[in-house]
Amino acid sequence: MQPFFEATDYFPADTDGRVEAMAKVTGKAKYSAEYQAPGLCYGFFATSTVAAGKIVSIDTTLAKQADGVIDIITHEHKPLVPGLADETKIRESRFGLPVFHTDKIYFKGQPIALIIAETLEEATYAASLITAIYHAETHNIDFELSHPKVALKPDGKERGSLQAWQQAPRMVEAEYTIRNEVHNPMEMHATIAHWTADNKLKLYDKTQGVNNVQRTMARLFGIPNDNVEVMSEFVGGGFGSGLRVWSNTLAATMGAMQVKRPVKLMLSRPQMFMLTGYRPQCWQRVKLGADENGKLLGLYHQGRNSTSMYENFSEGFTRECRLIYTVENLKTESATVPLNLSTPTWMRGPGDCSGDFAIESTVDELSYLLKMDPVELRLKNISNEKDPETGKPWSTNYLSECISRGAERIEWKNRPTGSGQLTDGDWKIGYGMAVGMWGAGRQNASAGIKMQKDGSILVQTAMTDIGTGTGTGIQNVAHDSTGIPKNRIKIELGNSSLPPAPSQGGSTGLSSITGAIAAVCNALKQKLVDYATVVDNAYKGMNIADLLISETGISARSGNAPSISFTVLFDTNHIDTIAVEASAGPGDERQKFSFCSSAAHFCKLRVHTKTGKVKIERMVCTVDAGKVVNSKAAANQISGAAVGGIGMALMEEQNADNALGSLLANDLAGYHFAVNADAPIIEVAFINKPDFNSNPSGAKGIGEVGIIGCAAAIANAIYNATGKRLRDLPITPDKVLMG
Amino acid sequence: MKKAHTHSRRLFLQTSSMLASLAFIPRSVKAFYLETRNFLVASKKTGSLAVSVNKKLYTVEADTRTTLLDLLRENLQLTGTKKGCDHGQCGACTVHIDGKRVLSCLTLAAMVPGKEVTTIEGLSDGEHLHPMQQAFIECDGFQCGYCTPGQIMSAVACVQEGHTHSVTEIKEFMSGNLCRCGAYNGIVEAIQKVAS
Repeated sequence: MQPFFEATDYFPADTDGRVEAMAKVTGKAKYSAEYQAPGLCYGFFATSTVAAGKIVSIDTTLAKQADGVIDIITHEHKPLVPGLADETKIRESRFGLPVFHTDKIYFKGQPIALIIAETLEEATYAASLITAIYHAETHNIDFELSHPKVALKPDGKERGSLQAWQQAPRMVEAEYTIRNEVHNPMEMHATIAHWTADNKLKLYDKTQGVNNVQRTMARLFGIPNDNVEVMSEFVGGGFGSGLRVWSNTLAATMGAMQVKRPVKLMLSRPQMFMLTGYRPQCWQRVKLGADENGKLLGLYHQGRNSTSMYENFSEGFTRECRLIYTVENLKTESATVPLNLSTPTWMRGPGDCSGDFAIESTVDELSYLLKMDPVELRLKNISNEKDPETGKPWSTNYLSECISRGAERIEWKNRPTGSGQLTDGDWKIGYGMAVGMWGAGRQNASAGIKMQKDGSILVQTAMTDIGTGTGTGIQNVAHDSTGIPKNRIKIELGNSSLPPAPSQGGSTGLSSITGAIAAVCNALKQKLVDYATVVDNAYKGMNIADLLISETGISARSGNAPSISFTVLFDTNHIDTIAVEASAGPGDERQKFSFCSSAAHFCKLRVHTKTGKVKIERMVCTVDAGKVVNSKAAANQISGAAVGGIGMALMEEQNADNALGSLLANDLAGYHFAVNADAPIIEVAFINKPDFNSNPSGAKGIGEVGIIGCAAAIANAIYNATGKRLRDLPITPDKVLMG
Repeated sequence: MKKAHTHSRRLFLQTSSMLASLAFIPRSVKAFYLETRNFLVASKKTGSLAVSVNKKLYTVEADTRTTLLDLLRENLQLTGTKKGCDHGQCGACTVHIDGKRVLSCLTLAAMVPGKEVTTIEGLSDGEHLHPMQQAFIECDGFQCGYCTPGQIMSAVACVQEGHTHSVTEIKEFMSGNLCRCGAYNGIVEAIQKVAS
C-alpha cells in the first residue's frame, strides 16, 4: 500500500527534496554537539542517588585525582549565576530546576556535580567517582496512590449545568489512565558553551527556539540579549523537549565560565529520561450523555496529571473536549499531583493528546451503546460551523470531510458493526477511528532577505527547523511570493542573531513564519521598485503586484515599464546587496474567527488471541491543515506523528518504583517506541483547502493533529476486534490478554 | 569484596585530607597512599592506533576506553556518525566495518586497526551521491536527519544482504535503526527504490 498524497498541486514530481537534504544525507549537517571551539573540554553530570532530601556533603576527592579532570562544579563550588542568587530570584527566574544553586534534592537523577575534563572518557569516568552524603527525606513518586488525595478544581468555563443531563437516555462513564511518556528525540540534548569575551556568550544548543535560550541565559547572567548568540542550525528532533531551557545549557555555561574554556555537555541517554521533561502520567474520568438518536447532551471531563515538587505543570487535557463537539452542558475539572520527579513538559499534542484518548474512547463506547456507526455519531455531533467554546465561527474546519474521506479510504463499510466478529485463525481483526483537533495558532515572527547582484536571495530567520521542513516551506512561500526560482533561494535558520522568531512548537511554526516571509517578500519587491525608479521613471508608483522578477532582472507584468537587468539595477544605485527585514503577526482576524487544524484517524488491526500481540495493518490519517505548502514534508510529519501515536497506544511507558524512588526505564531497550516493523506504511491525505485568515500562505499547523486521536483509534479498533475496552495506556499484550 | 572496597575507599578519603595537611610524610605512608589511589582511581591508558576510515589512514593516540563512535566524532571530527544512545539500542551510530554494518558505539577503537571503516562521509563517490543517499532525498526518508546517516548505512547493508523482498522484510531488517520522527514510510520507499 503506497501513501496517498492528494495535495499534489505543489511539487508533484519534486525530486530535489528539502533544502537541507544534501547536508543530512551526507553527514555534513552539524548538530549542536558537533562544533569545534578553541580549547574545548568536556562536561559530564554526576547525579543524585536519592529522590528527596538535602545534600549534606559532596566528596570530589577521588574524582579530582582522576586523569584529565580540570574542575568540578557543585552547589558549593561554582560561579554564582546572578539570576539564581537567592531563593526569591530562583522563584522569579521561572527557570525550573536551579541546578547547583540549591542543596535540595527534588528527584533521583538530579545533577549534583558537573565534572569538567580534557576528554569525554575522562569526564565520564570521573563522574563515577563522585559520592555524596544526603539527608534523605521520604519521597513519593507513586501517582496512582497519590492522585485521589488531590482535590479537583474547576478548569475552564462551565457550560449549561451538570444536573440538566443526569437523566440522559444513554450514558457512559469510565476512567482512563496513561503512563509517563518520554520524548526521546534521537539527538540527546547537548550544549557547547563558549564565553568569547567578558560577558559575551556563544552557545550551540539543542533547542526548538534560539531566541528563548538567548533571552533565558541573558536574564540569568544579567547581560544584554545581544551579548548572547545561540545557534541551533540542525536540531535532532524535539517533540516539545526543546521548548524549555534545561540544566545542561545552564551547567555548560557555568562550566565554561569556571574553567575559562569552552565546555561541551551532552546528556547521556539515561539522563534524557530525567532532565528534559516528559508527558506526565494522568488519570481521567469522562461521563458522556446522549439521547436515543445520538445527540450529545452533556459531557463531564475530569483529570489529574503528575508534576514535580519544584514547579507546577498542568497538562490542560480538558481543552480537547471543548473543541470538537457541540455539547450544551459541559463541565471540566483538573488538578496536578506533585511527586519527587523532574518537571514534565509539553510533548507532541500536549494535553489534547491525552484528553483526546479519554474523550474519543468514550464516544466510541457510546456508539456501541447506541448501536450506531461511530462515524455517523461523530458526524452528527461535530461542530462544523463554530467553535463550541467561544461561539466564534471557525475560519475553516473540514473535520467532517476528513472523516468521510478517511472512512472511504480504509473501506469502513467492511467494518464489523459488533465487536469480536472478524477472525482469521488465532487473530481477531478490528477497525477503529477517532478524531483530533488542535487550535491553529500564529505568533509574531520576523524574517530578512538579502538579494545579491546576480538576483539570488538569502532568506533568514532565527526560527529553527526541527525536522518539520520549515526551511523548505519558507523557500516555497518565497518562491511563490517573488517568482524567484527555487534554486536561487537559499535559507538560513536557527541563529539568534538573525531576525527573531518564536520557538517552533504548538504547531505554530510555519503559520507564524510564512506571514513574515510574505511580508519580507513584499518589502523586497517595494525596494526593487524604488531602486528601479532611479533607473527608469516608468517604475514610479508601481504596484508591487505588477513587478515581475526573473532570473536576470525585473520587469512589469503589465508591460508598462521596461525590463531592467540586475546588473544595471545594482550598478545604477551603487549597491552590492539589497537587504530588507519585516515582521508579521496575527491581527483582527483572531477576534472574528476561531482557528483549528483537525484530523481523522482510521486503523485496521489484528490481535493475536493467544499472545495478546497487536499488529497494526493499516493506518489512514486525513488531515485539514489548510493549504499544504510542502506536501512531502507534511505527509512525512503526519505519518511520523501516527508512528508516535502507535507508540503511545501500544508500547510507550515510564513506570515508577516508589520503594526506591526510581524510574524504571532509562534507556531505549527499557523504553520502547515504535520501530520500523511496528508501523505499517501510514496512509496520509490532506483536504488542502487554504485558510487565508490564518496567514498569507493559507497553511495551518500540523505538528500536533497527526498524533491527537491515534491512540484512541487504535484502542477503539482493539475493542472492535476483541470486545475488550482497554482504558490504560499503553495497551501492552498482558493487558490485552487479561482485559 | 564490596565491603572491603568500601572500607578502603573510606579510609583513603579520610587519610587523604589528613595527609594534605601534614608537611612531612613518612615514605611508607606516601607509598600506601599512592597504592590506594591507584586502586581506587584507574589511571588513563592510551595507545597509538592506526585506523583506516573511508580509505584514509589516521594515526591517533587514543584512550583505551574510546569507542569507535567517539573516536570518529571527537578525535577525527567525522561527526556524520551519530550518538543516539551509546548503548547499541538505536542504530544511529551504524558504520560499515569491512563492508558489514556495525554499531560503532559498541566497538572499541582499539578493535578496528587492520580493518576498513566506512562512514556516511565516505559513502558518496566524491560529489556523486550513493544511490541510497539520492533515494533518501527523493523519498524524503527523514525529518530531523539525526538518525539518517545510521539509517542510510543500514539501508545500504540491507540491500547488500538481500533483505528487500517485501515491505515486511525491509521493515524487519531496518528495525535496529530507530527514528523518533517516524519517517519510516520514506525509509522503506527509498530502500525499495534502490533494491529495484
